Amino acid sequence: MRWAKEIGTNLKRSGFMSLISAGTIAITVFMLGAYYIVQSGVTFLARHIESNVEVTAFLKNNTPQDKTDNIIMETKALAGVAEVRFVTKWDAFQEFIQDPEMKAVMDTFEGNPLPDSIVVRLDTYTREKIERISSFLREKDGVEEVQYGAGEIENLINIVNAVRFIAAAAGIIFIIASMLVVSNIINLTIYARKQDIYIFRMIGADESYIRMPFVAEGVIHGLFGGAAGWAALYGVVTVLIAQIRQETGLDLSVYHIFRPEYFSVRLLLYSVGAGIGLGFTGSLLSQLRMFK
Amino acid sequence: MIKFNRVYKVFERDIQALSDISFEVKRGEFVFITGPSGAGKTTILNLLYREDLPTMGAIFVDSLDITHIGTGRLPAYRRGIGFVFQDFKLLFDRPLFENIALPLVVRGENMEYVKKLAQTMIDRIGLTGKESLNPWHLSGGEKQKAAIARALITSPPILLADEPTGNLDDYSSWEIMEMLTEANRAGTTVIIASHNKEIMSKLGHRIIRLDKGKVVSDAMG
Ligand SMILES: Nc1ncnc2c1ncn2[C@@H]1O[C@H](COP(=O)(O)OP(=O)(O)OP(=O)(O)O)[C@@H](O)[C@H]1O
Ligand SMILES: [Mg+2]
Repeated sequence: MRWAKEIGTNLKRSGFMSLISAGTIAITVFMLGAYYIVQSGVTFLARHIESNVEVTAFLKNNTPQDKTDNIIMETKALAGVAEVRFVTKWDAFQEFIQDPEMKAVMDTFEGNPLPDSIVVRLDTYTREKIERISSFLREKDGVEEVQYGAGEIENLINIVNAVRFIAAAAGIIFIIASMLVVSNIINLTIYARKQDIYIFRMIGADESYIRMPFVAEGVIHGLFGGAAGWAALYGVVTVLIAQIRQETGLDLSVYHIFRPEYFSVRLLLYSVGAGIGLGFTGSLLSQLRMFK
Repeated sequence: MIKFNRVYKVFERDIQALSDISFEVKRGEFVFITGPSGAGKTTILNLLYREDLPTMGAIFVDSLDITHIGTGRLPAYRRGIGFVFQDFKLLFDRPLFENIALPLVVRGENMEYVKKLAQTMIDRIGLTGKESLNPWHLSGGEKQKAAIARALITSPPILLADEPTGNLDDYSSWEIMEMLTEANRAGTTVIIASHNKEIMSKLGHRIIRLDKGKVVSDAMG
């Protein structure tokens, strides 16, 4: 570390500017971290919903038992099917009247207006699977009507994707902006040390020796910025989890991202790594602009 | 060792700083370059140091055509030369000691050795006890001595000095000349740009006289 001294000089000269540079990196790392958490939460949610997609085949009244059993057997053998359940009209009725509003509707009928049904749960969601299984069921003798919630699921997935896209775009803008800020601040340091750089060149210092401190400066900004960004994220998440627990009783801290071994170790490393990456790239940009 | 071959230097707006300069300097020589202000003395030293390139002509150092050194090899070339700037060019963000040690530090020399040598140089220029002073607080003569110590700490084969006695009193001037003479005795080729007639005539070294960018005389003083 023969240029450790020069790094010290740079940081001393930059002072407040170093803080701005590290602060910008901290904000970016915070945003990226928040994005990462939301994104993985949303992905988790989407998967959960997708894996609970059900196709329901309503049966005609008085369909014989052996016919129903046959349909169930054949459906079970289809690719992409996780579970097939037979729901009697009475099961369905019991479920319906759990909801007081539905009960009111049911009360207007005499007896049970609901049909028997076969409920098929898919292993994972794809449009193709839903279509294939639905049309298979629709063609079966004894099946009155086939329903599935694909429309809503697709809407949900579209919304999730849109959110991801917007967040990714914002993330990229943040990354670029913070690299530019770092780069400009390092440019200021380089500018302030123009005379020193000239002297170093004149006494035969290698270019790498001259430039290394400026690269290191960016990396140091990144190191502290990354750590600070993580700390801010940690603080906000801790407060939010406590708030949510208090207000809804939902304990998010069991979610794998929020467990200490993940959040305090892996995510901290990622944050510092991202910060260093930003600082390093920012200072490389400066090198390109200031040293020709 | 050093050879200028029909060297021209034209700055922008047709300022003809040097025209058709040719001379040779042998290893171990002690040479003054003199002439009125604007004659081209500093320009010659800058070309030798490869801070600037000639408009035309060739400059050889140790039979190496220095106008064709790539930027990658420039640092190595400059390490073979000690340069004393007219305005010293000391670093004001570090103490005297570190200023003088800098050329060795930059080369990645062993710190033990660097410290010993820097202390020896400081003792030699008579600034013992001022090691930790910022160059800011040194007198003009002391700064000049520091600049020379920095240039000589690597025992370079060539020493270039631009007006090393510029603004100094007689006593300091002679002290400085004593240091340069000592380096020359130890084998360093010394080239000095100077106005100081008294010193030049008393020392009796070779004098290259310039006027308006041309060599007008080249003789022993
Ligand atoms: N970078 C430059 N751009 C334009 N003209 C320059 C430049 N450097 C030097 N000159 C001109 O070249 C000529 C020679 O300058 P130089 O500095 O070599 O003179 P000098 O002999 O060292 O003078 P002094 O004794 O005043 O130091 C002068 O006319 C000067 O104005
Ligand atoms: Mg001059």
